[in-house]
Amino acid sequence: MKTSKAFAALAFGVLIAGIAIAATQWAMQPKESKLVFVGTQAGAPFEGAFEKFTADIKFDPQDLASSHFDVKIDLGSVNSRDGERDDTIKSPDLFGVKRWPTGHYVAEKFTAGAAGKFSATGKLTLRDVTRDVPIDFTFENNDGGAWLKGSANLKRLDFGVGQGDWKDTSTVANEVKIRFELKLAH
Amino acid sequence: MTMKNTTERYGAVAQLFHWIIVVLIITQFVLAIKAGNLPLGPAKIATLAQHKSVGMTIFALAVLRLSWRLINPVPAVPATTPRWQQIGAHISHVTLYGLILITPLLGWIMSSARNFSVSWFGLFTLPDLVQPDRARYDLFHETHEILAWTLLAIAVLHAAAALKHHFFGRDNVLRRMLPVKLK
Repeated sequence: MKTSKAFAALAFGVLIAGIAIAATQWAMQPKESKLVFVGTQAGAPFEGAFEKFTADIKFDPQDLASSHFDVKIDLGSVNSRDGERDDTIKSPDLFGVKRWPTGHYVAEKFTAGAAGKFSATGKLTLRDVTRDVPIDFTFENNDGGAWLKGSANLKRLDFGVGQGDWKDTSTVANEVKIRFELKLAH
Repeated sequence: MTMKNTTERYGAVAQLFHWIIVVLIITQFVLAIKAGNLPLGPAKIATLAQHKSVGMTIFALAVLRLSWRLINPVPAVPATTPRWQQIGAHISHVTLYGLILITPLLGWIMSSARNFSVSWFGLFTLPDLVQPDRARYDLFHETHEILAWTLLAIAVLHAAAALKHHFFGRDNVLRRMLPVKLK
């Protein structure tokens, strides 16, 4: 009895808290949304995209404290417009998608910058490594929906993306740029 | 020896173009064969990147070289050369000029077709010429190789003809492309 009462109280508390602090829950529109990366290979940049990812976005410019991003990336959906390169990226020495199929990004700390600009610090997990990755983004409301557009920079070797020969950064640069454009609807 | 060509011989600029391109073409075969033997990895990518950089250098030099040729006299062939040899030499020269332009250009197109942009020794990146397309890449790749081997075959023939003139004809045909005195 005691336990169930305590549980009910807890559930009620969570519900109240949820109502009080809920930033807007958005639904990402996969067709219009993009998650792109730019790597450098032998001095030349190349662009690829992840074709499958989900983003659970709770965001309200007026309520940054309860805003929250949770992005899951199907790393096997990488498309750099060259099948051989994609296979290499998926291989055990780089993403190792068989063992670690999903990339995961969670952001909980948001700060507002100049008009419409925001930053967040979040944690990105690739392979078995989790690291802080800050992002900068803009948020534009329009026609009942919103565009969330931004970028991040990371170093692939921080996540072990590059084992063996691929640890070499003179040919495939350590720095990778990430760009995202998420179309959000209510 | 003058900078510009005369009716007797090639000048310093034309000679420099000729011999630098000879060295670079040999380098290209060495790099291409080396890359072909490497497993997929950073070393292969780096070797191919060198091959592309050298290829783009050949392409640029070929454009300059042809422009230089247009504003310079072309030394005459010895009057004793049989007509069929004159025609043969002319055809092989035109083909060699064409190939030092088209082979690297096709290499550039090939790279674009796989979304591997060409960087010139990491200093700047050239624009992509075509959209990525694997089937077209395979065709470009094969053609690039055929052209490269054709270039090598004609270059060997061209060198053999020059040596024949030098050792058997005892004329100035080879000397006029070397920084040495004419007879």
